[in-house]
Amino acid sequence: MASPLLSIRDLRTYFYTESGVAKAVDGVSFDIGAGETVGIVGESGCGKSVTALSILRLIQPPGRIEAGSRIDFEGKDLVTLPDEEMRNIRGNRISMIFQEPMSALNPVFTVGDQVAEVARIHAGIGRKKSWELAVETLALTGIPAPEERAKQYPHQLSGGMRQRVLIAMALIMKPALIIADEPTTALDVTIQAQILDLLVHLQKEFGTSILMITHDLGVIAETTSRVIVMYAGEIVEEASVTELFARPHHPYTEGLMHSMPHIGHDQERLNVIPGTVPSPTNWPHGCRFRERCPYSWDLPEREHPPLYDVGAGHTSRCHLAREPQRRNHPHEPLVVQEGVGAA
Amino acid sequence: MSATARGGNGTAPLVSVRNLKKEFPIKKGVFSRQVGAVKAVNDVSFHVARGETLGVVGESGCGKTTTGRTILRLLEPTSGEIYFEDRDVRALGTRDLRALRRDMQIIFQDPVSSLNPRMTVGAIVREGLTIHKLAEGAAADARVSQLLQEVGLRPEYATRYPHEFSGGQRQRIGIARALSVEPKFIVCDEPVSALDVSVQAQVINLLEDLQREHNLTYMFIAHDLSVVEHIADRVAVMYLGKIVQLATADDLYREPLMPYTQALLSAVPVADPKSRKERIILSGDVPSPASPPPGCVFHPRCHHPAKDVACTKIVPPLEEKTPGHFVHCIKQPPTTVSWEQQKEVGGVHPPERYLPLAAVHA
Amino acid sequence: MPGLIPASAVIKPAQPRESPLGLTLRALLRRRSSRIAMIVLGVIILVGLLAPFIAPYDPAAQPDIVALKDLPPSLSHPFGTDPYSRDVLSRVIYGARLSLTIGILATIVSLTLGVAYGAVAGYIGGMLDAIMMRILDAFLSIPRLLLMLGVLVAWPHLSIGALVLFLGLTGWFGLSRIVRGQVLALKHAEFVTAAQALGASRRRILARHLLPNLVSPIAVAATLGVAHVIVLEAGLSYLGIGVPQPLASWGNIIQDGADQVARLWWMSLFPGLFMVSTVMMLNILGEALRDVYERRS
Repeated sequence: MASPLLSIRDLRTYFYTESGVAKAVDGVSFDIGAGETVGIVGESGCGKSVTALSILRLIQPPGRIEAGSRIDFEGKDLVTLPDEEMRNIRGNRISMIFQEPMSALNPVFTVGDQVAEVARIHAGIGRKKSWELAVETLALTGIPAPEERAKQYPHQLSGGMRQRVLIAMALIMKPALIIADEPTTALDVTIQAQILDLLVHLQKEFGTSILMITHDLGVIAETTSRVIVMYAGEIVEEASVTELFARPHHPYTEGLMHSMPHIGHDQERLNVIPGTVPSPTNWPHGCRFRERCPYSWDLPEREHPPLYDVGAGHTSRCHLAREPQRRNHPHEPLVVQEGVGAA
Repeated sequence: MSATARGGNGTAPLVSVRNLKKEFPIKKGVFSRQVGAVKAVNDVSFHVARGETLGVVGESGCGKTTTGRTILRLLEPTSGEIYFEDRDVRALGTRDLRALRRDMQIIFQDPVSSLNPRMTVGAIVREGLTIHKLAEGAAADARVSQLLQEVGLRPEYATRYPHEFSGGQRQRIGIARALSVEPKFIVCDEPVSALDVSVQAQVINLLEDLQREHNLTYMFIAHDLSVVEHIADRVAVMYLGKIVQLATADDLYREPLMPYTQALLSAVPVADPKSRKERIILSGDVPSPASPPPGCVFHPRCHHPAKDVACTKIVPPLEEKTPGHFVHCIKQPPTTVSWEQQKEVGGVHPPERYLPLAAVHA
Repeated sequence: MPGLIPASAVIKPAQPRESPLGLTLRALLRRRSSRIAMIVLGVIILVGLLAPFIAPYDPAAQPDIVALKDLPPSLSHPFGTDPYSRDVLSRVIYGARLSLTIGILATIVSLTLGVAYGAVAGYIGGMLDAIMMRILDAFLSIPRLLLMLGVLVAWPHLSIGALVLFLGLTGWFGLSRIVRGQVLALKHAEFVTAAQALGASRRRILARHLLPNLVSPIAVAATLGVAHVIVLEAGLSYLGIGVPQPLASWGNIIQDGADQVARLWWMSLFPGLFMVSTVMMLNILGEALRDVYERRS
């Protein structure tokens, strides 16, 4: 088997804050193959965005990628790469699309200039050539009249158009990997549909790998081929998209799927995952989902669950893999003790 | 029981709105000369029946939030009528309006900016009691505790400040504040949009419980169609300041006759990788509400096969296609704008029922 | 069914309760620069407060205008004496009292005016706001120092009270702008709309919702304002038109030795040191406050 494009091993990104060490990403390992679209799904604070920023080494102090973490990409370990070489990778081999298209664009330059700048930095081409390339790339993203649009400033464009500009910036160097961090969360649903459609189309056309980070299981189902579910700084489940939706194994994944209302399947009452996410400065011992879990039972030594192989390339960080019969006996979740975690 | 039956006939509606308009002037220059107006709410009429939940959906800038705030007179309407029970809301003076606010409340979207950071949770929940002289001293303390418990918070939290709470908990505080004055009607303005999925479910369940216990009437504003389908009895779809479809939730999702609703429904990503459904992708963006298109506001982006010149000339009435199901479209039969009238202004395609599979969620 | 337990059972308390004021104090104490500033200012304020008890001499006494004048620092007069044989240490101690008092009182006057003016303009808005802002523009275009010189030269024997009032009356323009801007921004915050929806009156909204949220910019402006007034007062006293003799303020102590700075160096060094450190510490504290508030929002 060919080696994957991106291979992350035991990534730990910690933030040294006044109230303690926040273990935002705490031992994450996964691969992305060439041309593959992988999704990371989870709620706020699960570590999905920090994972993305870690790959590009965009973690600001007091955050730090811990020693021993490895991010192998095209034969280089990004964790130890000199800054100079890292800059060569950003926007060139790996690019990123952010959630908030307005704040990701500089208000004082035209959008064409900002797209062209990426090419000037990385391809070493001149002003005229890079401008032509920028207009061409803007056209690829479905911006009508790209020559005129390129001369406009970000505030003159709608949210959907700005997101297309960001995609053009991410695309102009034909990178091997695009990281899309909640690329449609700030957009209206009909515009979201346009952008998702565009991303899927571009992925097919150029064979770029995409890491899609989102809280929306719908976006995951429609765009990705493999899914990673994160909770409390760790991967709790990983499977192909069809496998995950057909047979969710981890109780957290199950809870997420059941707590969202679906159009056309009205239920009287929504299922909820009780409680709140624990604090990253103080993850619970053993299973981090235990206190909110409907199946949890008292393991004698509060063992931290490994990622169990549950078949068909499907892994899950849940002891149910060892004692599957317990799934038939859900109970009310344990009541959380005072003082554990934070709001 | 169908929601229309509850709403339309029988008892008088709790809230009724007729021809409501709200324009925001666009000013320019040193002398603030008015050069135009954003027609945020452009002639909408509807009612909310006692005990029901009217969902209002639409994308940003469609006027849903403005509609909610105008009903409460947090914004002054430009024209139109608003009745709460038998009171003419627009005619109320300052004193009577303040009294009315006991009956009509609002829950906000942003759990951060909707709570005063300098007040304790207790003071926030208690303010309504003080203003309306509902309780004071120990009685007020007891009431605050009771309200906090009712929304699933510990009474001890009364002494804390908002910044100590998570988004979901803050939203509960906002709900307790609204409940404190024992309102009959609550405008829920995107109350779960800023929350994570699992927390969203907690808050939706809470709102449903409270509605049952206190016989509340909700106007539930959201951009998430699945949330609205879950919570609402009837749904109004808004686009560019107009209600373009109004029907029971069941009818709306089963038979989205308005082409815009079709596009909205088909655009929602489905959390099921096996359902590779067709999708209606709308081209372009929503036009500016400062200069909405003539005729049907949706015509520039419409995909109805019978769309023609008539759509650009005739403003479609919000008309009843089947009992209780109102649609703003002259191309979906039956229509009161006859084919002859349409031909007169240049129409070439007679009205024809159009309901693509992509839009129907079985 | 999983997940159906009362939410109250699982919602956990956050950190122990802490009021915004307590949080601010703690944040200030955590930083080294603002901690030092608070300690130094505390000491100077204490010195001012306890002046009658710690000053070795009467600051106005002229025991021997011939034998004891212009003495350099010594054990009996650690800061030396002035041309009238008064003890400079005692005068600096009493000067702390007067300079700080003038600074604080004048700032209270300008805060009151500035907050009231800015809050009214911002909250009521419309035509009134436009008129009030144009008036403010007119005030702002008058150079404060020139105005002061003019007034004080015309009425050279102003009492301390009048001086405080005058410093306060000319010091609120900038603050009222800041307050107006903040009120304009806060007016549309959702918690204000919420209060309106609850039926709160305008007065209640202003008092309970808007003003408490202005504490941060006001605290910053106040701290920097006191520093500014101290410098102004010293300047005016140095020019001989501020605090009248025989009262001691840092400015007029320096003035007493001004014609022979090189020879009577102790007369400007010691009061100067006190004034510079007070002003510097106030500025450090003001900046730290601003930083703490910005970080929080």
